[in-house]
Amino acid sequence: MKARKRLIAIALIGLFFSVSLRTAFAQAQVNDKQHGTVIGNAIMYVSPDLNSAKVARPSRGRDTWLMGQSNIDGKEWAHIMVTMSQNNFSAPRTVTGWTDARLVITSATPNGDQIIFGEALQAQRDADNGIKDADQEAMRLFYRVFEYFPDSPLAPESLWHAADYQWQLEKSGVFARPSAREMSPDARQEIDEETMHQVMKKFPRTKWADLAAYDLLDNKICGAWKGETKCPEKESDLYEHYAHEHPQSPKAAEALYKAAWRQAALVDMYKGKERDKGEKAKRRAMELAQEISTKYPEGDWKPRAAQLVFALQQGLDVTTESERQSGKQN
Amino acid sequence: MKGFLLAAIVTLFALIGSASAAERATIVRSSGLFASPAQSAEKVMTIDRGTGLTVEDKRDAGNEPWVKVSISVPGSTQNEPAREATGWLPAQPVVGVSTQNGDQIVYGEAVDSERQAEQRGGRKGAADDAMRLYYEVGQLFPNSPLAAESLWRSADIRWQLAKSSHKPLEEQYLKEVISKFPNTKWADQAAFDLIDSQLCGDWNGLPDCPTKEAEAYERYARQHPQSPKFGEAIFDAASRLGTVADMYRMSDQKEKAAAAHNHAMTLAKEVAGNAAMGDWSYRATTLLYKLQQNIPLYGVPDEGP
Repeated sequence: MKARKRLIAIALIGLFFSVSLRTAFAQAQVNDKQHGTVIGNAIMYVSPDLNSAKVARPSRGRDTWLMGQSNIDGKEWAHIMVTMSQNNFSAPRTVTGWTDARLVITSATPNGDQIIFGEALQAQRDADNGIKDADQEAMRLFYRVFEYFPDSPLAPESLWHAADYQWQLEKSGVFARPSAREMSPDARQEIDEETMHQVMKKFPRTKWADLAAYDLLDNKICGAWKGETKCPEKESDLYEHYAHEHPQSPKAAEALYKAAWRQAALVDMYKGKERDKGEKAKRRAMELAQEISTKYPEGDWKPRAAQLVFALQQGLDVTTESERQSGKQN
Repeated sequence: MKGFLLAAIVTLFALIGSASAAERATIVRSSGLFASPAQSAEKVMTIDRGTGLTVEDKRDAGNEPWVKVSISVPGSTQNEPAREATGWLPAQPVVGVSTQNGDQIVYGEAVDSERQAEQRGGRKGAADDAMRLYYEVGQLFPNSPLAAESLWRSADIRWQLAKSSHKPLEEQYLKEVISKFPNTKWADQAAFDLIDSQLCGDWNGLPDCPTKEAEAYERYARQHPQSPKFGEAIFDAASRLGTVADMYRMSDQKEKAAAAHNHAMTLAKEVAGNAAMGDWSYRATTLLYKLQQNIPLYGVPDEGP
């Protein structure tokens, strides 16, 4: 009798855990399926009726929670909650309302990752064509692909794109301030590295991690050289180190070129002052240019290295520092 | 008589000698053109990067190598004929057909100038420099592996500059790429650029223009199936047909709307999910989704389902 009671107890406990786990798992799956974003000119209404009051116009890529769906007169409406921010100064707020269900893409949508990724590319093109806030939309859309489709083959690239958008937006602000004209990188505000580190941590040894590591160098370069040789020397080392640490990176050849270019700039800076150091910098620039030519014969960097060698051999000035400053390109 | 003959032979050899010394070249830094080989001499004009030169003489003056060059200076108006200018340049930035790695040096300088042009606050006139430098790679080094790409890049920069400044589009440079390097990806890209001249400025809300443009893009794709622009052309055709479908739908021409819609779907399916098409595959997937869901591509933002 006791044994029977124990068996029943065990069975009940087992059933309880089984049901609980299934419910929890089902809940998790449902939760996962409910999250997504909007991909078009969505308008949110108080109720599923075009004549009802408008609540908000969530832009593409906004974090969206699908709470329910309703078919009214053959048309699909989605009841959504969207996290929105009015501007940079106010905290994000959540808004609920009804919108066109066709514009809501969740992790349950077939090919949802590709659809959001494609919309992000469209937003990217819109941004290139000068459409306001399209860059922010592209950034959010890319992030949603990573967030809601973590197993998608597009997830690493998407997270990288989102991180790079965030980086470039912040960088343009940081480098526009007077503090960016100071020599030390410590004089200016650091660009937030968190998302870049996330790319490197989540997707190590990928080209996206390599690209993230390359962006991070921006926080280490001097604002202005102010005629001091220590800046180009340090930066040359930084870029060379990167190229050797990430030889498979799409940015490896560019990093080597930047290292070589800085050595070439040092030749100009040492001209008429310290001949030995100038000669040493020239030799190093030539060696780095040769390394580009040998290791990366495809693409534009080999000819650019050849052009740099020619400039050194002929004693031509390399691009001036003011040109570097204006474009932050070398 | 004998003396005259000897003088004539000497003159002839001298002429042959000077003719063989003449070398086609260009310059990778802008420089003054001087009346004589000295920085203090009268400056005739400034020579920009990528200007085509003929080197006529070489001389060392003041411990510096100099070259005597002639250049063709275009007229200031279309009707004014080009004139020839001659003068002396410092030799260091001059790259000639005999310069070792000359093709790579000029090409590298062109890439550098192109990058400058793309940067905010980059060097003034850098896009023109890049256009000229790329062109000179093709002219000076026609057998270089970089020649075809250079000619294409030069023609493309010229085309994009004309487009952005609303100047007349001159097709001759793109056509030169196609005729000199047929059946290459550079010729394919030149042909893609040429579609621009078939595009309407404004659709005026009517389906005629986008229909015509969609035909041009699809025709291009069929004629250039190996082109790097294939996916883009099909996408451009599909998105225009999707727009045409919306225009017909708005004017209540249901059959025409359905035909355009179906054609757009067929084209979008051709690229969607095809990894070889790169990003166009994903953009086509998004377009296909919008077409399948009847999400409008044209007109006022749809207010609801």
